[in-house]
Amino acid sequence: MKKIMLVCSAGMSTSLLVTKMNNAAVKKGISAEIFAVSETDAKKHFDNIDVVLLGPQVRYLLNKIEKLLAEKKIPVAVIESINYGTMNGEAVLDQALRLLE
Amino acid sequence: MKKIDQVYEALEKLEKKFNRGISAYEISQLLNINRANVSRYLNHLYVEGRINKIEGRPVLFNTKDDQQKIENITPLTQTLESSINKITLQQQSLQVPIQQAKAAILYPPRGLHTLILGETGVGKSLFAELMYQLAIESKVIEIEAPFIRFNCADYADNPQLVMAQIFGVKKGAYTGADKDKDGLLKRADGGILFLDEIHRLSPQGQEMLFTYIDTGAFRPLGETEKAISVKVQIIAATTEDPQSCLLNTFTRRIPMLITLPALRDKSLTERYYLIEYFIKKESKRIGKSIYVNKNSLISLLLYDCPSNIGQLGSDIQLACAKAFVNYKSKREDYILISQSDLPQHVKKGMMRINELREEVDQLFKQKGDILRFNHKEDALPNIKGENFDNEDFYDAIEKKLQTLKDSGIDAEEINQIINIDIESHFQKYLGNLHEDIRIQEISKIVDVEVLEIVENILQLAEDTLKRKYDKKIYYGLALHIHGFIERIKKGVKIYHPKLNLIRVEYPDEFLVAMEAVKMIDKRFHIQTPLDEIGYLTLFFTANPLDLEGEEKSKVGVLVIMHGNTTASSMVEVCNTLIGAQHAVSLDMPLSMKPLDMYELAKKQVIQLDRGRGVLLLVDMGSLTNFGDLIYEETGIIVKTIDMVSTALLIDACRKAVLGRDIDEIYGSFRNRNSFTNDINKRLKKNFRNIIITACFTGEGASERLKGIIEERLPKSDEIEIIPLNILNRKEFVSSINEFKENHKVLAIVSTVDIHVSDIPFISAEDIIVGEGLKDLEDIIKKEEDFIKIGKSLKIHLNEVNGEKIIDEIRITIMDIEKKLNINIKEEALIGIILHISFLVDKLKGGGKETLFIDLDAYKDQFYREMILIKGAFKPIEDKYHITIGENELAYICKMMISNNIEA
Repeated sequence: MKKIMLVCSAGMSTSLLVTKMNNAAVKKGISAEIFAVSETDAKKHFDNIDVVLLGPQVRYLLNKIEKLLAEKKIPVAVIESINYGTMNGEAVLDQALRLLE
Repeated sequence: MKKIDQVYEALEKLEKKFNRGISAYEISQLLNINRANVSRYLNHLYVEGRINKIEGRPVLFNTKDDQQKIENITPLTQTLESSINKITLQQQSLQVPIQQAKAAILYPPRGLHTLILGETGVGKSLFAELMYQLAIESKVIEIEAPFIRFNCADYADNPQLVMAQIFGVKKGAYTGADKDKDGLLKRADGGILFLDEIHRLSPQGQEMLFTYIDTGAFRPLGETEKAISVKVQIIAATTEDPQSCLLNTFTRRIPMLITLPALRDKSLTERYYLIEYFIKKESKRIGKSIYVNKNSLISLLLYDCPSNIGQLGSDIQLACAKAFVNYKSKREDYILISQSDLPQHVKKGMMRINELREEVDQLFKQKGDILRFNHKEDALPNIKGENFDNEDFYDAIEKKLQTLKDSGIDAEEINQIINIDIESHFQKYLGNLHEDIRIQEISKIVDVEVLEIVENILQLAEDTLKRKYDKKIYYGLALHIHGFIERIKKGVKIYHPKLNLIRVEYPDEFLVAMEAVKMIDKRFHIQTPLDEIGYLTLFFTANPLDLEGEEKSKVGVLVIMHGNTTASSMVEVCNTLIGAQHAVSLDMPLSMKPLDMYELAKKQVIQLDRGRGVLLLVDMGSLTNFGDLIYEETGIIVKTIDMVSTALLIDACRKAVLGRDIDEIYGSFRNRNSFTNDINKRLKKNFRNIIITACFTGEGASERLKGIIEERLPKSDEIEIIPLNILNRKEFVSSINEFKENHKVLAIVSTVDIHVSDIPFISAEDIIVGEGLKDLEDIIKKEEDFIKIGKSLKIHLNEVNGEKIIDEIRITIMDIEKKLNINIKEEALIGIILHISFLVDKLKGGGKETLFIDLDAYKDQFYREMILIKGAFKPIEDKYHITIGENELAYICKMMISNNIEA
């Protein structure tokens, strides 16, 4: 079970993306727990995740979160703008899975 | 014990415990007596002179203990080293003093006694404290080691008392000395004694001090037998001229002399940092951002400030206080310091702007008209005021490049910035050389071999290009070639951002440069990188006659107004204030026929044009049409601004003198009040994307361009290419404007640049042989991405049309970028757009605001920005009948500011 956390600023647009990623995961037969949090809540989940994806609008958090998670070796990346923009759940899921490889 | 003494004791006790000033409340808690009574006693003690009062809220007190106080040292942090580094970084002129201070502290075994010299207010006491912290930090002294400060001027009329203070007294030494009393020197054992205004110490006292300095021991007054040995490092300070005979003795006996520079000897950049520091300090006190308009900052930078940093600090404090009062009393939205908040003598600083305009402009480059200071925000890295003078200029460019890259600026922009720098640097480089570098001096630095090859190269250039180069070029080239050979040998990279541009602009010189490189490679067995050719080319382009005096060409400024003297007097004011005879006026008496005026104007424009166009500033009527007519007739780019005021003229002229581009200057005014209307208009439209190809030479070329583009670029249903064949420029511009009504013009591809602002231009030549197709592809790709996103949003949003809202938000964001003077990173943009579109959808559907944590604190910091953003969203709010609340605004504001390229 892979735990994927999405971070955006107020949790507005990401929740839809989560739904779409879940659908993509079911289709692919991958067991994954995907959830979205706001910037301020992100830290609470650091102990219980495998990969972090940031919405493009909070890409400024990348350095900070990378540093915080470096020790745990949890990969962090910014979601590809176009995939985020088109709410392409499948592509974003792929991005997360690639990071976990 | 009397109540009043109890209070005094309690104060002493608390003071020792907390090592800071104590409030009446705290004492009342400890003694369990009424606070009002405590206050009364404290005030009584204060009147008696036994304690000090520290104004503030709450009022704090501390014990005087005979004037000497163990100063409150700011708690030590492990970042002292880094803060010292920061100080040296910001205050270049302190570099040497800080090196000296480090040496004085670290010198074994226990540091060197030090004398600090400097005018009133340069920060001698602060510097002494810094040395103390440094000593603790480097473990030269114990963490609890004392730092004792004494001002020798305090009892200047009683030298005996001063000595008693410093060295202590034995019982019976003089009348009233009824018990043994330790001096400061004893109390400072193991630490540092700071003696301020040391020149006020009596000769006798000086002797005693010197004895201590020489032997490490001293005798208290009245003590005849045993001397006391202590380990104290003396730091003395004085405002006196070190040459004075009084100080002569000191300078002989005290090994380390540190001179702190006066404020007027500091660079403007340093002074800017000091101002920033002081404003941020006030911001911390108030707990809110302090906004300062640019002119006030300029005044603070330039005014005559004889009492140095101390005065600067208190003047700033005063200005902040005034602004704060305004904010409170007039219920302003945020704290803004404007000219009227400055003390009179500070305002006068603005008068010096002419002398220092260039430096000031350099400092404020890329900063908006109102700057925000907040104690939570760190200073930006200083990439603006950099001085290239003493550096190898490759390094300078590379360093700059790296800074810009690190701050996330995209390559295109970096190139532009760097290019400007190279040009100005190059001018300076050659300009500075002048005749004072004689051939002998050159041969000291540069190998004879290099000199020979330079002669050969210049000979070749003179023959090929049929022009004469003067000695300066010879020297300049010699130094340059010497430099780059060294560099290549060391394997360091050479980079020229505008190689291609130079090749296109100076084809002949470029060829000579290539030949020159061949010669160099052969002679020195190296491989010169291609980019170097770009630099060499610049040497050959330099017209020796142009080097001195003649400046880079600038946009012309012509003012025409109705009335006998309106234009001329406006221009006079402007030119005087700018300090350059740049603007030119034409008065148009009411009796004059417009046509006659037109001829005059045309002549003047032709005369003024240096290839970069002419800005026409007019008041009204037929004059507003002159620009287009002249453009059509002469082909000179003329942009017209109407309803001109003096302030506007000065601003435009200043920008022109700075060498700004005509589109940029024009653009900055065109938007002055029409932007919001523009948005409203654009919000109503439904766009189709088009690319326009154009030619002026006759039928066909634009069709061919269209063909080429369609053939080579992937097909797209969303974008249409429209060829235009128009011989007349004016007609072309108006037809573009027509297209703009119903279309989004992504780019214009043409054989000639028609200068339509805010539409990217790609030259036909670039499409055929250069990078043009790639550029076009990028533009289209970006647009297609947005179309895709719009389509996807259309599915996902319930309340609003995704395709429409995305365009509206893009326009709004552009508006915000302008208003806030920020530049949002391209990569973050889509995320922000998406966030906002979901937000609008949510609000439209009756959804609730998402709470922003610590909204109040955020508002304290960014309220002005939030208000501006709110204003920019007005059209969207109106259209969708929604209200974007403060919480949501804060989210948007944060996204925008955090993703600013400069952040």
